[in-house]
Amino acid sequence: MIRPRWHKIFSDLLSHKGRSLLIIASIATGLFAIGMITTSYVILAEDIRSGYRAVNPPNIQLFTTFFDRDYLNRIRKIDGVRQAEGVWNTNLQIRNTAGEWEPITVKASDYGRMGAKEMGQPHVLEGIWPPDEKQIALDINRLSDAGAKLGDTVEIKLPSGVIRRMPVVGIVRDQTIGSSRTEGGFFLAGIQGYTNIDTLRWLGQPEGYNTLYVRVETEDQENKPAIRAVADRLIDDFDKNGYPVNGFITHLSSEHPNLPYVDAMAAVIYLLGFLVVFLSGFLITNTFSALLNQQVEQIGVMKTVGGSRGQIVAMYMVLILVFSLIALAVAIPLSNKAAYMLLEYISVHINFQVIELRFVPASSILQTIVALLVPQLAGIIPILQGTRISVREALSGAASNQNETTGFMYRLLAKFRGFSRPILISLRNTFRRRGRLALTLITLMLGGATFIATFNVRNSISSYIDRLGRYFLADVNLTLDRPYRLERVAADVMQVQGVAMVEGWNGAFASVVTEDGKAGETVQVVAPPKDSKLIEPILLRGRWLMPDDRNAITLSELFLESYPEIDVGDTLRLKIGMDESDWEIVGLFQFAGRSSGLFAYVNYDDLARETGMQGKSTSFRIVASDTTLDLAGQKELASRVEAHLSSLNYKIKDVGTGLSLGDKTSQGLSVLTTFLLIMSLLMASVGSIGLAGTMSLNVMERTHEIGVMRAIGGSNRAIITIVLVEGIAIGLISWLLASLVALPISKQLADIMFQIIFDRSADVVFTLSGNFIWLGIVLVLSTLAGSAPAFNASRLTIREVLAYE
Amino acid sequence: MPPERYALPVRYDSNGDPIIRMRGITKTFRSAAGEATVLKGVDVDILPGQFVSVVGRSGSGKSTLVNMITGIDRPTSGSVEIGGQNILHMPESDMAVWRGRHLGIVFQFFQLLPMLTLIENVMLPMDFCNMYPPAMREERALGLLTRVGLDDFAYKLPGAVAGGQQQSAAVARALANDPPILIADEPTGNLDSVTAEQVMEIFEELAALGKTILFVTHDRTLALRTNRRLLISDGELVNETLVAAFPDASHSLLLRLSKGAQPLDLPPGADLPPGSSAHIYLVEAGWLEVGSGPQPVVIAAGDGLDAPAVSGAVRAGDEGAKLLSLPADLVEPLLPAEPVFAEAGRSLRWFRLGRRQG
Repeated sequence: MIRPRWHKIFSDLLSHKGRSLLIIASIATGLFAIGMITTSYVILAEDIRSGYRAVNPPNIQLFTTFFDRDYLNRIRKIDGVRQAEGVWNTNLQIRNTAGEWEPITVKASDYGRMGAKEMGQPHVLEGIWPPDEKQIALDINRLSDAGAKLGDTVEIKLPSGVIRRMPVVGIVRDQTIGSSRTEGGFFLAGIQGYTNIDTLRWLGQPEGYNTLYVRVETEDQENKPAIRAVADRLIDDFDKNGYPVNGFITHLSSEHPNLPYVDAMAAVIYLLGFLVVFLSGFLITNTFSALLNQQVEQIGVMKTVGGSRGQIVAMYMVLILVFSLIALAVAIPLSNKAAYMLLEYISVHINFQVIELRFVPASSILQTIVALLVPQLAGIIPILQGTRISVREALSGAASNQNETTGFMYRLLAKFRGFSRPILISLRNTFRRRGRLALTLITLMLGGATFIATFNVRNSISSYIDRLGRYFLADVNLTLDRPYRLERVAADVMQVQGVAMVEGWNGAFASVVTEDGKAGETVQVVAPPKDSKLIEPILLRGRWLMPDDRNAITLSELFLESYPEIDVGDTLRLKIGMDESDWEIVGLFQFAGRSSGLFAYVNYDDLARETGMQGKSTSFRIVASDTTLDLAGQKELASRVEAHLSSLNYKIKDVGTGLSLGDKTSQGLSVLTTFLLIMSLLMASVGSIGLAGTMSLNVMERTHEIGVMRAIGGSNRAIITIVLVEGIAIGLISWLLASLVALPISKQLADIMFQIIFDRSADVVFTLSGNFIWLGIVLVLSTLAGSAPAFNASRLTIREVLAYE
Repeated sequence: MPPERYALPVRYDSNGDPIIRMRGITKTFRSAAGEATVLKGVDVDILPGQFVSVVGRSGSGKSTLVNMITGIDRPTSGSVEIGGQNILHMPESDMAVWRGRHLGIVFQFFQLLPMLTLIENVMLPMDFCNMYPPAMREERALGLLTRVGLDDFAYKLPGAVAGGQQQSAAVARALANDPPILIADEPTGNLDSVTAEQVMEIFEELAALGKTILFVTHDRTLALRTNRRLLISDGELVNETLVAAFPDASHSLLLRLSKGAQPLDLPPGADLPPGSSAHIYLVEAGWLEVGSGPQPVVIAAGDGLDAPAVSGAVRAGDEGAKLLSLPADLVEPLLPAEPVFAEAGRSLRWFRLGRRQG
C-alpha cells in the first residue's frame, strides 16, 4: 500500500485538476519558451553555417569584364585554388504577371558539366537542376515579384528590346545571393534566374564569364588570410593577363551572406532567453506561493499529527518535482516543434536552409535543468514560509490573509470614493496580494515592453532606411545598356511628361590599393554631378564633396571597420579598371553599415576622367515635377520614360523607382522585426499565462467572498465584472509600466540591431503604435485571462463556497 | 436620474397568509460515503412580523432549512414560497438579485468583504440590486450604521474593528435594501456574551419594527427571547406546542413525542370523547370546559394515575379547541412532581383524563 504522505501528494495532483493544470501550464510555458529559444538559437547558429558550407560556397568572388574557358582552366592551376568556376552575370528584365517589366539578374554557368559539385549550388525546391539550354530556374526569394511558377514560360527582355521566352524548369534557393556585397545585399537583390552557359548567345550576351568563383583548399576554407593570399595571386594573374579586376570579395566557407542578421537575431534570442528564464521563474514562484497558501490548513493538520517540517517540505518538493516532470514532458516536444516552425519562417526570409528538424540535446538538457531547479528554487521560499507557521496559525486560517489589506496602495485605494462598490472591490482586490501582483506585473510588463520596443525598433529601422533613401532621391533610376551622352539623354528624357530634372551619374567598381601595393577590398564608387540635388548625406566626419574639389572622395562608415586608421585628410589609392589613382578623403558618411559593401562618392568629372566616360553615362536619375509621387506614380513615370526612350531606340537595361529601394529594404529587414515580434509575443504569452494564473488563483482564494457577494445580491454579471475588471486593472497597470520600461528596452534592442545591420548605434524613433496595439492586446489578454476564472466564479453556488454543514 | 430607474424596497401585503411557506422539504446530500437525508419532509409557515428562532443540535439540519429559504441551497423535493412566489425555479443569478432585494442575511462569521470599508460593505447590496439612487446610498448606509452604533467606524476596513462591530455592520448590510425578511445564521455564535447581547438587542428592535426574522441559534436563552421557536431534530421539525410545553426535554424525546402525538380538533361545545389515562392531552389552542364551566385543569402529578385528574365531562369552549394526544409513558417523566394548576386565560395547558373521584 502506498504510504499516506505520498498518497496525499498524488491526491493533491489529481483532486484539484484545474489547479494542477494551471501549475503545469505555468511551468510548461516557461520551459517551452526556453526550449524554443535555445533550439532556435542552436539550429540557427549551426545550420546557417553548416548549411552554407554544404552548398560549396566560393571563398573568392572576382568581378571582371570578360574571360573565357581557356583562361578559367589556367586559373584552376593556380596555387591554392581547389575549384574555380566562371559565371556570367547579367541584368535583364522579366515580365511579371501584371505585364510589367521587372529587373532580373541572370547567372549563366557550366552547370552540371563541372565534374564536381558546383559552387554555391542552389537547393532545388521544385523541378529540376541544372537548367538546360534556353531553360531557366528561378530563385524562390523574389519569385513572387515575377509571379512565375514551375512549368510557366517567362518572357525575358534583352537590352536590345528582343523578348525571349524561357520555360521555368526549377524553383531553387540560392544561399549565395548577396554574397558579392555589391548588389546592396540580399534584401535589395531582385529576381534571380539561372541558365546554362550555352543560352548566353541567345540572350544577346558574350559566351564567356565576368565573375570568377574560387574555392581554396579545404584546410584553408576557414582561414581568412589564406583565402586572401589566394585572392592576391588571382588578381596578379588577372592583371598579368590583361583582365581588369573590377572588384573581389572573400568569404569563409561558413560565412553566410546574411550572417549579420542571424547574429542580430541570436543576440536578441540570447537576451530574451535570459529574460524568459527569469519570467518563468516568477511565474512558477507565483503559482507555488498560491498553492502553498491553499495548503496552509493541511500543513497545520499534518503538524498536529506529528509531521516534522522537514517531512512536510520534502512532500511539497516531491509534488513540485512531479509537476515539473509533467511540464517537461509537454514542453520538450512542443518547443522543438515551435522552434522548427520559427526556423522555417526565418530560413525563408534570411535565405538559408534548415538541414533537418532534430532533437537538440543542449536545449533539452537546459530545459531539464531549469525544470528541476527553477520550480524547486521558486517553490522553496513559499514552502519554507508555509511550513514555518505555527499549528495554531495554520488551523485558524490567520496566516493566509495576513497583510492582505494593509499595504500603502491598499490604504490609498481605501480612500477612493468615486467608484461603485463592485469596481472598488476589483481595484482593491488588485492590490491584495502584493507579491503576486508584483511578479505578475513584472512578467506582463517585460513581455509588453519588448512588444512595444519591437515597434520602436521597427520604426527606427524604417526611419533610418528612409533617411538612407536620401542618398537616392530620384523618382526614377534609369540604367542604360551602354554609355550615352548626358545632354542627349537629358534632352530626350525631359520630353517625357512629368519630368522636372535629369541628372547623369556615373559609377564604377574599384579596389582599395593597400600600402604594400596589393588590391584591397572592392569599393562601389558613385559619382553624382558636382551640383547634384539628389543626395543628402549623413556626415560623420569632415565634409561633403564641393564643386571645386579635385579627386576628393567621401567614404562610407564601413571603411572604418576595414581600415580603422583611416581619417579625413588621408589619401586613398584606388584601382579603377587597370589604373590606380589617389583620392583625398574629405569626409566620412553614415551609410547602411554591413548591409552594403564599401561605398564612396566622388564628383562625376573626377570619375569620368578615370574611366574615360566624360560627358557620358549609363546611369540617370530622374526627378518628377510632382514632388509628392508615391510608388505607383513613380512606376507610371518610369513606364513613360522607358516607353519614350525605347521609341528612340535606346538600349535600356533597367528602369527602377526611387521608393522601391527603401520599400525592398524595409520588406527585407522586416524579417528581423517580425522575428522580434514573435519573440515578444512569446514573452507576452508567458506574461498572459502568468496573468491567467494569477486571476485563477485569486478567484480560487476568494470563492468565499464571491459566495458572500452572491448572498447579498451579486448577480452573475456583477461577479464576472468584478473578476474581469481586476484582470483588466492588472493589464492596464502592466501596460503603463511596459510603456515606461519599453523606452530603455527599445534603445537596447535598437542598438543591437543597428550595430549589427548598420554598424552604428541607433537613433531610436519612438512610435505610439506599439503602445496602442499592446494596449489592445493586453486588454484582450486580461479579459481572456480573467474570463475563465470569472465564469467559474459565477458558477459557484453559495453553499459550495460558504461551506455550510 | 429619475427615481423610477431604481428598484424599491419589497413590501408584502400578506392578508394573513404566511410570508414564508415551506411544504414537504426534503434534502438529501449525496457523497461517496452514500446518501444522507438532512431534512425529511418539513412543513413550515412563518407569518409576517414573526421573530422566529430555529434551534437544533449541530448537524440537525437547521442551517440547511434556512438555506432553503435563502435559496443558498435547493431542496431535493418540496416547495418554498416567499411572499407567495415559488423561489425554486429561479436561476442562480436571478436568485442572487432576488435574494438581495427580499432577504437580508447575517452570517456567523460576519462575512464582510475585507477590501471594503464598513460603509462600502453596507452600500454594496444597494449597488448590486440597483436600489436607491446612488447619491442616496451613502447617506442611507451611514444611517443604518448609526442605527447599529457604528457611525464612528463607518469608514474603517473590517479588519480594523472588533468582531461584534463587524457583526453589527453585517446586520446593517443585511438591512441595506430594507428587505422584509432577515435571516441570521448563528449571528452571535462567534461573539462574546456582551457583544452577543448587543447584537440580539438589534434583532429585537428590528422585530419590534415588524421585520420577519429567522434566527438560527444554539443558545436556548436567546431562542427564548424570540416569539416562536422551531426545533429541528434529526431533520424533522418538532411540534412547536411540545417545544413550548417542555422546554427542558431532550430534542430526541421531543421528536419522539412529536411523532407520537395525535391531533384532536374539537368543535365548539363538543365533548372530549372518552379516553384513556394512557394519554396525556395538550391543549394547543382554544379552551376546554370541565363540568359546568371553565375550570382550572389539573395536571397529573407524581406517579400519575391516582393523582388528581380531570373528571367529569370535558368539552370544547366557544371557539373550539385543538388538542394533542400524547402517550402518557413518554410525557410522564417531563411532568412536574407536584400538581400544577394552569392559570386561567392561558392557552397552553395539559391534562390527563382521570378516574372520577369517589
